Amino acid sequence: MRASAAQKVDPAHATLWARHYPGHDMIGTRTFGFWLYMLTDAMVYAALFASLGVLSHVVNLAGGPSPSAFINPVYAYGETITLFLSVLIYGYSMVALKNGNHSGVIGSMFAAMLLGMVYLVIAGIDIREMFAQGIIPEASGFLSIFFTIIIYHALHIIVGVVWMLVMMIQVAREGFSANVVYRLINLRLFWHFQAVIWVFVFTFVYLQGMVV
Amino acid sequence: MLVHLQGPWTPVLGRLTLQQIPYENPILLGTFTFVAVLAIAILAATTYFGKWEYLWREWLTTVDHKKIGVMYCLLGLIMLFRGFIDALMIRTQQAIAVGHEAPGYMGAVHGYLTPFHLGQIFTAHGLIMVVFAATPLLVGIMNIIVPLQIGARDMAYPYLNALGLWLTTAGAALVMVSLFIGNFAHGGWYGFVPYFELPYSPGVGVDYWIWTFQLSAIGTSLGSINLIATIVKMRAPGMTWMRLPIFTWASLSTNLIALTSFPVLMVSLALLALDRYVGTHFYTAGMGGNLMLYSDLFWVWGHPEVYFLILPAFGMMSEIIPTFSEKPLFGYATMVIASFAIGGVSWGVWLHHFFTMAASPSVNSFYSVTTMLVGIPTGVKVFNWVFTMYRGRVRYELPMLWALLALFLLLVGGMTGMMNAFASSDYMWHNGLFVVAHFHMMVLVIAASVFGAVEYWFPKVFGFKLEQKWGKWFFWFMILGTGWTFVPMFLLGFAGMTRRLDYIPYMQWSPYLHVMLVGMVFYVLAVCFFVAHLYVSLRDRVSNRAGADAWGTGRSLEWMTHSPVPAYNYAFIPHINVLDEWAWRKENGLTELHAGDYEGIHMPKNTGIPLFLGMLFMGLGFALIWRIWWLALLCVALIVGLIILRSFDRDTDMTIPAHEVERVERGARDETPATARSAGMPGGAVTAHSALRPGTDGIGGGTTSTNPSWAPMDR
Amino acid sequence: MTEHTQNPLNHPEVQLANGRAYLVSFILSMLLTTAGLWLAITHITTPFGTVLVTSFLAGAVVVIQGYFILHMDISHAQIWHTVAMVLFLPLFVVTIGLTAWMFHGLYQRTMLMPPGASDMAQMSHPPHERTPS
Repeated sequence: MRASAAQKVDPAHATLWARHYPGHDMIGTRTFGFWLYMLTDAMVYAALFASLGVLSHVVNLAGGPSPSAFINPVYAYGETITLFLSVLIYGYSMVALKNGNHSGVIGSMFAAMLLGMVYLVIAGIDIREMFAQGIIPEASGFLSIFFTIIIYHALHIIVGVVWMLVMMIQVAREGFSANVVYRLINLRLFWHFQAVIWVFVFTFVYLQGMVV
Repeated sequence: MLVHLQGPWTPVLGRLTLQQIPYENPILLGTFTFVAVLAIAILAATTYFGKWEYLWREWLTTVDHKKIGVMYCLLGLIMLFRGFIDALMIRTQQAIAVGHEAPGYMGAVHGYLTPFHLGQIFTAHGLIMVVFAATPLLVGIMNIIVPLQIGARDMAYPYLNALGLWLTTAGAALVMVSLFIGNFAHGGWYGFVPYFELPYSPGVGVDYWIWTFQLSAIGTSLGSINLIATIVKMRAPGMTWMRLPIFTWASLSTNLIALTSFPVLMVSLALLALDRYVGTHFYTAGMGGNLMLYSDLFWVWGHPEVYFLILPAFGMMSEIIPTFSEKPLFGYATMVIASFAIGGVSWGVWLHHFFTMAASPSVNSFYSVTTMLVGIPTGVKVFNWVFTMYRGRVRYELPMLWALLALFLLLVGGMTGMMNAFASSDYMWHNGLFVVAHFHMMVLVIAASVFGAVEYWFPKVFGFKLEQKWGKWFFWFMILGTGWTFVPMFLLGFAGMTRRLDYIPYMQWSPYLHVMLVGMVFYVLAVCFFVAHLYVSLRDRVSNRAGADAWGTGRSLEWMTHSPVPAYNYAFIPHINVLDEWAWRKENGLTELHAGDYEGIHMPKNTGIPLFLGMLFMGLGFALIWRIWWLALLCVALIVGLIILRSFDRDTDMTIPAHEVERVERGARDETPATARSAGMPGGAVTAHSALRPGTDGIGGGTTSTNPSWAPMDR
Repeated sequence: MTEHTQNPLNHPEVQLANGRAYLVSFILSMLLTTAGLWLAITHITTPFGTVLVTSFLAGAVVVIQGYFILHMDISHAQIWHTVAMVLFLPLFVVTIGLTAWMFHGLYQRTMLMPPGASDMAQMSHPPHERTPS
């Protein structure tokens, strides 16, 4: 780079201080950091899917059941419907936020939370049925990664449900303060991201597990 | 779901019994006595001098990025010492235990450490040096310097910053706890499967290793999110990307590596933990596990990690060398590109840690080539530094000496690294001392840069310079120690010695091992000189007071505010016009820092919650290690509860009123070194004190240069 | 850090909420995942074909959701979110792809196949990288 002396800024007319600087965009900074966190979570999934690829060899079944024998697509499809619906309704909650509608935000979020709970119930039934048939994580390397991925995803849904509960209280208590608004946006990123991850789980764990 | 354990277990204490306390081992007993006496002395002194409130208010609950950075560095230094003691024990053991007639003491057949004990020591040495010494030191320095360099008043998330610190501290504390309760892993810092699986390592050592590692990984990830968001979102107006100081660029690159790679480490460790706790079969030898999956996942993190460590070191060198060459950095743009090229390539080289795992030749060749590619951007950097010094006015002050040492070690480490890149030759020296010597050269690059950076930025943080005499003794004895320890290690590597031996059967290696012991003596002396260096610097701090531009030839923005930096960093947010803004302002006589009427400054409030969360995470780690399930559940519940509770706290910010800002700034401007006797308390309240000398241009403090620092640079 | 004094609801990230886009994303996602499920249940094509098409459908759903509900675009408010994601994408590919590649070779060299199981060896590939056997 050139010596700084050669840079063409006229020192006589340069602005040296940002007086009355309004400060940084607090909401934008918060959501950006949270989005970075969501991407690291996506990296966790990438590592888990890489492990799934490695542990999908026939050797990794260790003589146990192969996925095509036990995967029940009805449950997975039910989870897909409830999660996508929940994401849609959470989106409507964000539309209500845009319009400054308190009851709209809380009402939609309540519906989204209920759908999240329905998702958890379906996932719970699915896992319980598999466990009842002796299809457990300890049975083989493949089943270990299979259950790790779906339970890890379900844990995210639990976090989302608890978070929605907290946010409903905060909206009711504080209204739309800057802190509440950035948290609502972060929760939108979180919740909508779960739908994206679910697409991968549904396709690569359930659908393709049924085929091969 | 939980696995069936060997050995006793009770619901209340888990696996914890009195037998787990190794009171019969004289080394650990001595260590415990030392640590206990030290702890009691510190606690007593804090009480005697009535400093508890000060400690709590100014340090434990702080969200100030500078103080958090200082605490990170302190943590790093303490753990560096611990890691050094481990190294000392490894070297002495290997020097004694040569040949079958070597004597044995304290239960060991040869030497004085049993294989189990030595195993714990080298595991702890590696883990501590990588994640609890180097990482906190680098993260700490980035924490202090990056917001200053971009003209921000704080990090993007001050609260998260404190949380990252306390999580890392919790991990480090658990490593120390493992000395006195239970034991540590004994199979190498990066772990082996299935050796680290429960049937083969049934003790708590591996669990300590998993959870300490995991805590530090979480802490570092949080820190990286914070630093990236700070750099992207918090730059002062006018600070465009190509005006960013080079250390900030290096920090951005390195934190992108951390952000992307640490999740993979968490997965690799979490899957091992599932194997050990739940009984899954990810890495087991039978039942459909895959041993190599662990190596793969671990090194997907592991290799980016080493560039995570080296890039900030490169950034530090890139700041120090121009300042002491009194010239702009040569090839700023190529330096930026090289930093990101290293970061990018780091993601495609990890298999070179296990060339011998029987991957196909095309895979090995691919990773050989990518590994060699790293040499290109690194070479660009080396030449840029050399050309920066070329025809500069080079001043051999301590930071510059360290930077030059780092440059030299980088050549040695880099060249041997290129040798290691050949998959074919790796079959000869895999797990040999040649590789060990190579990566010690590279971590010594980091160590040298960190010492240089500490010397360089110390006056910025504390307001006085470190003295030079003992510092130079420290420097030269570090060089002696490095030469005497690692040249024989390279030679032993060529001779075929493998790493982590508790007993060496070949007598002909004995001379080398003894020469290495001489090197360790030099290192011990260097540590003594370092302590003297710190002591003398603290004693003579008043005569070593430094102005805002402590070295007189600083170029980037951090030299534009007072030393030590006020809590709010900048009373007026600067508007950036050029790269090397401060050098440009000095050249044009624009060094006045008083821009008009002061305004109130909005800052985050102190909070003790990050500290409590750190303690709870430590409790959670301890509970999981000893399988005390009720405690683990309690800690999880409290952690979740505390996080939710904190989100309801609306009283998180405060405004420093304008008159207070004015008072601090006036103090900084009016104070001369003669009246500064009461100020500059090391680690004291970071209020502004800066030596403005009336009648001189600007606030340049003492400089050893005889030329005015704003003289034209190109002759 | 200075708080925004203006109404936080005027923040662009609040204002980008769009009910119609969410509905479009929902309908398209449901259609495409249902199509994937139908393919997997009916075995209408070869296993490889099913894997290929479902992977493609998943990719399409992710692109749709990324655009419509995660608002990944280059508008001023969202540009850094998009940049961060674009930075991560190659690393996902590298992590999964290179791992699959090395284990593919490794399995061929180290795993003894049970008789008749050789056609399942390709399972070590992630599906989207699989080659026809």
